[in-house]
Amino acid sequence: MNILISNLPYLLKGAMITLALAGVIVTVGNLLGLLLGAVSALVGRLGQSLITLYIFVLRGIPVLVIMLLGYYMFPALGYRVPAYVAVATAHIVYVSAFVAEIVRSAINSVPTGQIAAARSLGMRRFGILREVLLPQATRIAIPPLLNNSLTAIKQTSYVSVVGVWELTYAAREVVERTLASFQIFLGVMAIYFLICYPLSLFARWCERRTTVIQ
Amino acid sequence: MAMIEVRGLRKSYAALEVLKDINFSVDKGEVVVVLGPSGSGKSTMLRCINLLEEFQGGEIRIDGEAIGYREDAHGVRHWCKERDNAKLREQVGMVFQSFNLFPHRTVLQNVMMGPLKVQRRARAEIEPIARELLGKVGLLDKADQYPARLSGGQQQRVGIARALAMQPKVMLFDEVTSALDPELVGEVLRVIRRLAQEGMTMIIVTHEIHFARDVADRIIFMDGGLIVEQDAPATLLSNPKSDRLKLFLRRYQGDYLAD
Repeated sequence: MNILISNLPYLLKGAMITLALAGVIVTVGNLLGLLLGAVSALVGRLGQSLITLYIFVLRGIPVLVIMLLGYYMFPALGYRVPAYVAVATAHIVYVSAFVAEIVRSAINSVPTGQIAAARSLGMRRFGILREVLLPQATRIAIPPLLNNSLTAIKQTSYVSVVGVWELTYAAREVVERTLASFQIFLGVMAIYFLICYPLSLFARWCERRTTVIQ
Repeated sequence: MAMIEVRGLRKSYAALEVLKDINFSVDKGEVVVVLGPSGSGKSTMLRCINLLEEFQGGEIRIDGEAIGYREDAHGVRHWCKERDNAKLREQVGMVFQSFNLFPHRTVLQNVMMGPLKVQRRARAEIEPIARELLGKVGLLDKADQYPARLSGGQQQRVGIARALAMQPKVMLFDEVTSALDPELVGEVLRVIRRLAQEGMTMIIVTHEIHFARDVADRIIFMDGGLIVEQDAPATLLSNPKSDRLKLFLRRYQGDYLAD
């Protein structure tokens, strides 16, 4: 226990990096996914197929592989990019595919009568999306989106594999130094939990709120 | 002067022809009720008039203007731009069997949706009009409720107010009482009858034959994608000429073994 306490400041420094990394991945990943999902409701069949392809390809690849690919892609293309940027980009692309699929299916789950009613009032595609589809789809999509964001936060621990320093990497360093693997990883578990728990609570709160309105 | 004119309307889904050469017109202020068995094409015809469906042949005119398609120099039909079609839909109000109110908006917001988001009029100007319409359908006290809190009959009256808020030239009613409990039908039909008395041009698809007799200037009977008969209600309902209409009316009168 003492070993954990004495190494806690170091681990918390790692946790800050994890938080920052997760913050960027979750924010940009969700925005990009939302954009892709919304666009797929606006564009014609070709655009939809392209977005579907994007979703299906990424869904079929382990996040670790995508991350390794992202990490080695930039040098292979002749670009020098900081490791943080490379792995964050890979995670963002991965997360956005899941977000796009959640948003797309939420929009599709709004009854077609809603679209007919909006069209009969003279509304057009963009207006229908903004005023009718998105507000209703959001309610449907919020619980799975938050769930997806939680997964995205936890997946940041994979970046330690390619030597990007964050909480999990810091923990492995401490373990190598102290050999107190069980204690340290118990502490790391607690830190990850404390990062994710507020979001879990928020997800529950959103869910309760949306059920009341319906 | 015909407010709605339908000439040679044809519509098919793949190989299935649902409308085969529909011809009729509705004068300004006239109330036309469309009767017919399920699958006869009544609803599809209404949806074509509101351009919610594309159609393969014929012409629909609202207030003299051909809608939905334009012909190029070679006589090939082209579906008009969404912008133009949306403009035309503004003039045609539609009320649906399943209400289709916006569940995330209050009753008042539902009624103001069209004027606010489509006509881009100022809220201050619209709200009194919307409230007046809600008063007209007897739901002023529900203005701030969400649709889910309303009964089916109340929801449908909001649906009517929402369509009226666009000040349409024509109103289309697509089996608007079919999803309602019997005791809620009356409140909706009373609103429609009042509109008829005020001179609104309307096409009403319904299964309520008594209502049709009461409110219609003319009844159209459709079957198999064709207009089989059309006449004044008294004539058509008391002296049906075609076997199809005779059978339809017998079934309606409770002779469920008729075939």
